[in-house]
Amino acid sequence: MRACGRALIVALTCTLLALGITFVAAPISAQAMTCDKATARPNEDGGSGVIGGETTRLTWEGTVESGEDVTKVTLTIPDDGTFDGSTTRVTVLDGLTRMSVEAETKTSGNTLEVDFSQAIPEGSLVRLEVTNMCFPVEGGDYAISGTYESQAGTSALPDSPSISVIANTPLQRAVTWLDGQSWVQAWNSNQFLGMFFKPQLLLTSFVSLFGGWLVCLVIVIVAYPIAILLGLAFAFMKMAKHKVVRAIAVTYINILRGTPLFLQIYIMFFGLPMVGVNIDNNVLGVIVMAVNSSAYLAEIFRAGIQSIPTGQYEAAASLGMNGAQTMVSIILPQTVRRVIPTVTSDFITSYKDTSLLSSVGVMELMMFSKNLTTVSGNITPYMAAAIYYLIVTLPLIKVVGIVERRMARSESGGGPRPKAKGSATPAADPSTPAMASVHCEATEDDGVHGVIGALTAPFRSASSVTPRHDEMGGVPDAL
Amino acid sequence: MKREDRRFIGIVACIVCALTAALAIAGCSSGSGSSSTTTAASSASADTSSYTTVESGKLIVASDLAYPPLESVPDGGGDPVGFDVDLMNALAGKLGLTCEYLPAQKFDSIVPTIKQGGKADVGCSSFTITDERKEEIDFTDSYMDSNQGLVTKSDATATTVDALNVAGKQIAVQSGTTGEEWAQENLPNATVVPLDDAIQAMTGVQTGLYDACVADLPVMKYLCNNSYTDLKVSIEIPTGEQYGIVVSKDNPGLTAALNTALQELKDDGTIDSLEEKWFGSTM
Amino acid sequence: MRSRNKHVAMVETPDALPADAAAAAAFEHDHVLSRHHFTPGEHPVVRIEHLNKAFDETQVLKDVNLDIWGGEVVVVLGPSGSGKSTMLRCINLLEKPTAGHILINDVEITGTAKTDVNKLREKLGMVFQSFNLFPHLTAKENVMIGQMKVLKKGKAEAEAEAIRQLDAVGLADRADFKPAQLSGGQQQRVAIARAVAMHPDVLLFDEPTSALDPELVRGVLDVMRDLAENGGMTMVVVTHEMGFARDVADRVVFMEDGVVVEQGLPENVFDHPVNERTAAFIGNIADA
Repeated sequence: MRACGRALIVALTCTLLALGITFVAAPISAQAMTCDKATARPNEDGGSGVIGGETTRLTWEGTVESGEDVTKVTLTIPDDGTFDGSTTRVTVLDGLTRMSVEAETKTSGNTLEVDFSQAIPEGSLVRLEVTNMCFPVEGGDYAISGTYESQAGTSALPDSPSISVIANTPLQRAVTWLDGQSWVQAWNSNQFLGMFFKPQLLLTSFVSLFGGWLVCLVIVIVAYPIAILLGLAFAFMKMAKHKVVRAIAVTYINILRGTPLFLQIYIMFFGLPMVGVNIDNNVLGVIVMAVNSSAYLAEIFRAGIQSIPTGQYEAAASLGMNGAQTMVSIILPQTVRRVIPTVTSDFITSYKDTSLLSSVGVMELMMFSKNLTTVSGNITPYMAAAIYYLIVTLPLIKVVGIVERRMARSESGGGPRPKAKGSATPAADPSTPAMASVHCEATEDDGVHGVIGALTAPFRSASSVTPRHDEMGGVPDAL
Repeated sequence: MKREDRRFIGIVACIVCALTAALAIAGCSSGSGSSSTTTAASSASADTSSYTTVESGKLIVASDLAYPPLESVPDGGGDPVGFDVDLMNALAGKLGLTCEYLPAQKFDSIVPTIKQGGKADVGCSSFTITDERKEEIDFTDSYMDSNQGLVTKSDATATTVDALNVAGKQIAVQSGTTGEEWAQENLPNATVVPLDDAIQAMTGVQTGLYDACVADLPVMKYLCNNSYTDLKVSIEIPTGEQYGIVVSKDNPGLTAALNTALQELKDDGTIDSLEEKWFGSTM
Repeated sequence: MRSRNKHVAMVETPDALPADAAAAAAFEHDHVLSRHHFTPGEHPVVRIEHLNKAFDETQVLKDVNLDIWGGEVVVVLGPSGSGKSTMLRCINLLEKPTAGHILINDVEITGTAKTDVNKLREKLGMVFQSFNLFPHLTAKENVMIGQMKVLKKGKAEAEAEAIRQLDAVGLADRADFKPAQLSGGQQQRVAIARAVAMHPDVLLFDEPTSALDPELVRGVLDVMRDLAENGGMTMVVVTHEMGFARDVADRVVFMEDGVVVEQGLPENVFDHPVNERTAAFIGNIADA
């Protein structure tokens, strides 16, 4: 709160000062050199802000107006800022043509002197790129002031448009703290660890990837229910009696399953705008993911429904239930149980595949990590992204494993029995426990076993759709 | 309690496994890394005028090959063409080496590739010489001057910095370029979308997915004149940046040799004639 | 569709008889063959006239004629592949007859619209060889679901009936068990309770004990015997249980190759079979 207030005050004073200077300076002498712009490169890890006290690159551009040559430019930033340790790249342009001008630069605290070997002629653009300079730690809106020398002597430079600098963030401070730790330095000196698991970057990546992670989650969470509904619809269409309906479903499913998601994304993102349909990128992302998943889900649902033994349909029919009742009360509930592992695996795939949306500019996890890696030249942001993916996928994989195990148990008749009412003897069927032990090899839920189970779960899930020998409705005691 | 214990042991076991694997990989990578760089470094430290290449007799170049007329793969495939390609061939000729291009690399991966070594000798993909890049790798002397250009649709209304520096505007750039930096610095309110190559950015602007794209002016001009005739360069951004060839810091001999060869090509007019060939005039 | 038409054309069947004439003829035919106590003017509950069924080229049922009387227990015997299960499944239209007539309470069901088939099936309970309980529902829910969905009974009413029926088959204490937690015998008893809870006019049993371990057969047969003797249920039972047939059946029907070869009182069919194939079959079973 206090920092905020102070920033506001600083900003206000700066604005007032700038206003004052323009009012005072403008009428007195005709400006021979103007400042066109001053910008600083964002140095917030993973963000777009300019942080004080951290090195950044200042780009200052000024134009030499008519009537004068400029031989020297001095830039000044507020007291706490520093040019020490910076390097300056001097570019002089006549229009778009680069002029060959040598310059000597000298830094001293918050001032930077640029001494040109020859006078800069009128009409030229002087571009100074000062790399590794720092703005004051407190942050605020800073204008670059200074002086220039010409034949007429030394004159003041007009203030540049102000640059918004934010105060150092706790995150940045944590990074700076990490920078100073000897164990961090030792860790980073290992080429592999420094390139893949740099602690400072890991920290900043986690913070700046969070938004992208949310985008991924929201996309897949919104898309998936749509995909389930679409998938169910197409599953039924594929099983329909009507030939045309069936053909439509088969075409839809095969085209979507037969082409890469990447291609579908390209077609939708580049194709729709071309025919004049402009949809928000995130919404379009949801649509593409939903449509793609629906094709896979349709097949999963169809296989699930068809794996229900005909005896179930016959039993329902013999009770007088009609087709809709049979589907809703008998077939779908059983199908849901059977397809949960496969559907969860598909959900995991969908969630991971949101990464492909980065190629068309959806600001999701992969996009953020790609940007960070580009800026840092380090793989760590990708590792942070991997962790963000795993946060979601590992528990789900675990869930798949548990559900499958429970399913195997209940279908083989080994599940926990509710307490029998009254004084009944426990069901005297010796084959039941034996079957249970065959199916439930992994009932122990210890850590290592659990993790291995989780890691292998997606590869076992397919079995859940294949019909088991429960056409008997449970234990086949006659075997 | 027992269950908890076992779970804990399991977790510890996992961490140990992961660390072992990580260290094993680390050992491998640092081992191979050092072995490949020592040959270069030792020869370089012995005599800076000598150098090594990844494959003897060859100069292997990494480039994104999607930046006409500087470097691109012609329609229908084939060998890369462009100003940079001709330049690299001429330079290799001067050094008595055969110039060989890697398949198209992602632009933002070229500097790390050269830094890591072992895959390519130089990166030549219209690299602007910047102080940040110089911290990672060495540049040769510059061989061409360039500027930035901002491209929009010909009939676009938002064509100025002020009009584009608005929340909701999408600016496509090529990831890792000075164009990307310019957009981030000068259009902070817009969303800057980094893409793999400039062609993709142009296509996105053409289809209306993005409002503008920013990249090197010669390329933007070329593409607007040839392939993307419904787009135009709305802002010519004077930056006066200069292209250099990227060489590993471990190979100063190669940088020196390339600089010598570059000077010879400047002196004998080869570079002027190449500019004439690819840009229609000397830059 | 096409193949079915072909067979219809192949088999010439006369129209169904008028109800009174049919009842009279049936009485004339059956009254000496069944222990059933006929009442004057009684009409059979199920009439099967000239029933034919073919799967593709195979003729499974050939001109089967049979009448089932209210409260009668008819046991159908025959070697496997004789068409007895198919006949049973034709009665509630799980198989569509190729030709012929089936009438329930003098109403023809062959050729009825699809919606009416569901209505009809309420009146025809079925117990399957493989139980076909709904594995996702508890025993109680298995018995409730038909009452609620088809008879539109309230939950409490259906539940009370379910408990009553489960109690009748001796499984009230297993009401909350899932089928997978029950033995085969218990599952089949739940299946019987499920069918009985619909209060059908006729209960069809399709080899109800064939999938059971020998020691579990007894319990199921006891339940069926109880239904027949104390419940007065009309039952058509396809089975290999000779003892059950002899003790409980009002009439035994022997089928072979899709034809009713012989029928009559159990003691007559078992002890003095007229047909030599019946004799051979009964001899084989007795030896086994």
